[in-house]
Amino acid sequence: MNETDIHSKLAGAVVSGVGALDESAKDPFVVVDPGSLVPAVTFLKNDADCRMEMLNCVTAVEREDCIEVVYHLSSVTHRHSLTLKTRVERPAGGTHESWIPEVPSVAALYASADWHEREQWDLLGVRFTDHPDHRRILLPEEWIGHPLRKDYVYPHEHGGMPLDLDAVPLYERDEATPSEPAAPRPSGTPLVQPPNPNSDRPDAGGVAPADSDGDLRSIKPGSNDGGGH
Amino acid sequence: MGVLNNSLPDIGPVRAVDSAIGWGRKSSIWPMTFGIACCAIEMMAVYAATFDLDRFGAGVPRATPRQSDLIIVPGTVNAKMAVRVKRLYDQMSEPRYVIAMGACVCGGGPYVKWGYNTVKGVHKIIPVDIFVPGCPPRPEALMDGILKLREKVGRNQVFARQAQTAADMDGRYAAAK
Repeated sequence: MNETDIHSKLAGAVVSGVGALDESAKDPFVVVDPGSLVPAVTFLKNDADCRMEMLNCVTAVEREDCIEVVYHLSSVTHRHSLTLKTRVERPAGGTHESWIPEVPSVAALYASADWHEREQWDLLGVRFTDHPDHRRILLPEEWIGHPLRKDYVYPHEHGGMPLDLDAVPLYERDEATPSEPAAPRPSGTPLVQPPNPNSDRPDAGGVAPADSDGDLRSIKPGSNDGGGH
Repeated sequence: MGVLNNSLPDIGPVRAVDSAIGWGRKSSIWPMTFGIACCAIEMMAVYAATFDLDRFGAGVPRATPRQSDLIIVPGTVNAKMAVRVKRLYDQMSEPRYVIAMGACVCGGGPYVKWGYNTVKGVHKIIPVDIFVPGCPPRPEALMDGILKLREKVGRNQVFARQAQTAADMDGRYAAAK
């Protein structure tokens, strides 16, 4: 079957929330509502004519008005594939700190979705509801923020290790003379870790920013503020 | 060597003892079994038969920092790994040497601008003796780095006072070769 046939079967089977097939892209895709995602994927997996056994990848894209999560499904039996997308609209003023989009998890249907969804949580901050193991996968667990968001502010250091290009090497720092107290982080820097419903770990602290100036690299040369973690 | 370290005059017999010690050290540089990323593949090639680092007495990677003289840092050092690299270096006994292998380790490499998680050069954490640039460096480049390190180790002053003048150092360079 080609994408058109799969889409017409899908639109006929799932009652609502399945958008039109966008064939303008090189890889035609269907946009479904987050609420219809699990029924749509369940249908594509179990229907005898679709039989999408494989979830190739789950990825996410941050756009100005939404975050979209992209699912590449393919069938080994029938040698066809389909791209599903689901979009979560950005609320007014939705920033890195204040807005965590939620999408239902498909980890119960595809084991491969488990780690892929954890990666999207780690890097883009998409929460997958009903995920069996909703933790970060690549970054340290105590990391604050989701680095691939457009308004992410880069940390100066982590765990005592300097991350700035112009940082003073650890062994050249003068331990005898106490350094001046750490300067307050630039506006927008304190990133509040959203509470994880599946974790009993205490939430990372943080102060809500006064405003966000949008400058991703507002790092003062030589500044080395150890706070924030 | 304790209290005698760098306390004797820089004269012939002392220099001879120093160069004997230096010869011993440089001929048995034991690196640590340690690999982080893609540079480690090139490093393994250097250990293996084609390039055969054992010709220079450095082909016995030790499985513990406490037995090693040299840590080759081959690959991107990110925030999570940096803590471990620092700890391993601290566990090595002196004299200890560091080779920074590859662009990431020499200064951030491709992650220098947008690497939110990358330490921009391992010299931000531990002092580096030899920088070997490249992405990744050819095995020959790493071998060249190790040969340069041998020169450095060979002219190390153990008992003699540190060289005071440039002419002094030139004499030591010539003696080390």
